Amino acid sequence: MKFEWSICLALILGLGRLAVAQTPTADAGYPSTGPLSGYMDFHFNKPEAKDGILDFHRFVLIANHSFSARIRFVAELELEHAFVEGLEAAGELELEQAYVDFLLTRGFNVRAGMLLVPMGIINERHEPPVFHGVERPFVDTVIIPSTWFENGAGVHGELGRGFRYRAYMMAPLNALEFSADEGIRNGRQKGSQSNARNPAFAGRAEYVGVHNLTVGASAWSGKSSFLAPRLDTRVHVGEADVRYKRDRLELRGEFAQVWISDAGRLNDTIGPLTGISPNVAEALRGFYGEAAYRVWADGPARDLVAFVRYENFDTQFRMPSGFIPLKQFDRDAWVLGATYYPDPDVAVKIDYVWQRSRSSVIKAPNSFNIGLGWWF
Amino acid sequence: MKWLALAIAVVIICGAAGPARSQQRRVIQISAERFSFTPSEIVVDAGEEVELRLTSDDTAHGFRIAGTGVNVVIPKRGRAEIAVPFRAPEPGRYTFECSRMCGAGHNFMRGVLIVRDRAGRTAQR
Repeated sequence: MKFEWSICLALILGLGRLAVAQTPTADAGYPSTGPLSGYMDFHFNKPEAKDGILDFHRFVLIANHSFSARIRFVAELELEHAFVEGLEAAGELELEQAYVDFLLTRGFNVRAGMLLVPMGIINERHEPPVFHGVERPFVDTVIIPSTWFENGAGVHGELGRGFRYRAYMMAPLNALEFSADEGIRNGRQKGSQSNARNPAFAGRAEYVGVHNLTVGASAWSGKSSFLAPRLDTRVHVGEADVRYKRDRLELRGEFAQVWISDAGRLNDTIGPLTGISPNVAEALRGFYGEAAYRVWADGPARDLVAFVRYENFDTQFRMPSGFIPLKQFDRDAWVLGATYYPDPDVAVKIDYVWQRSRSSVIKAPNSFNIGLGWWF
Repeated sequence: MKWLALAIAVVIICGAAGPARSQQRRVIQISAERFSFTPSEIVVDAGEEVELRLTSDDTAHGFRIAGTGVNVVIPKRGRAEIAVPFRAPEPGRYTFECSRMCGAGHNFMRGVLIVRDRAGRTAQR
């Protein structure tokens, strides 16, 4: 019997070692997962002195297809607020991405279609498990109008030593939709028969050469007064950001500023059209810093992360001559909360937002929020 | 009979000991996170035995080296490290990339494996 056992033991040892040495899987071609993926975002928001709201904020499906190893298609279709009805201010159905990538070399690739503007931390990296807080940061919503997407074409690539870039030519913003409270946000044409009389240019450079450190800078520039050709409204957006992780600590920060030229005449043009002066500023500014700590990181892939974020955002930062800033839109906020990951792709979020505005009359509401977001 | 059985056992164990040489392989740690690999540039010598050890800092990613047959799934954060024993192919530059859709910036998630010849040169592919 001993002989048979020794042979069995030898076989087990031998086969076990051989199995370890094998390449885990063969090249299975494209795509290696199903053609459909996406993410979802489900929220409960309770602003101070108002009723709570349950909102299925985002339902996003991402489709991808590879025509070949070098030609690939990606699309992202988003339903916001669960319901869309014509002429109602309810949800939105948005085609946030739909482009073809022509992957030529490591340093030079071409992309065309509906593109995400390469701007800031969140706009291109907005899956719910990758940021803390139930809602996206105010700076990435009010100053940088995430999700900011537009028709265009451009190039991207990696230059080596951790440097990479994107440079796109895109349809511009529509300045006649700018406002005091939401800045340039309503000026997005969203790729719907976008006027392209004056192309805009967007670019981003990133350094990812050091593990756990990402440093980025973005810029956008375009003439945005195509519906009022007598105006010379040019919009420039500049942004810088950094993300860093060390052990259990995660830090991130972002600074963004928007410049709008000819803003005085823009206000004079919009006023008669809408009946009220939009009080568009000639500069908007925002910044934030966030620290997160992985409180519970042992055991299986379940994590609990506590975070705090300070944000300062002002859509009336500098006004054109003759216009007075509306102080209720000069705001800052503290966001304190936690994210629990029962799985790395599932995020259960809770936070409280203390908001302040510089206005002594119109207060910015505090809010309590709970969210459930997932990627698949 | 005893001796025959022992001899067979010794032969099998010795035969299986081949992969144990992998302990001498150079180990290269690669970390994946939306939407980059670190490092994104790896240099090896043609014919060199290496072991790529892959981990993810977030979701599951794919790791495919074009033209080599390597295409694996890197498990989600905290789940496991995956080891890929790998013999460097002919000199040249081989693109590696995420082969599993991981988010809006998935197509940016690429890197290059540079395989040098014995003189330290890299052929253009």
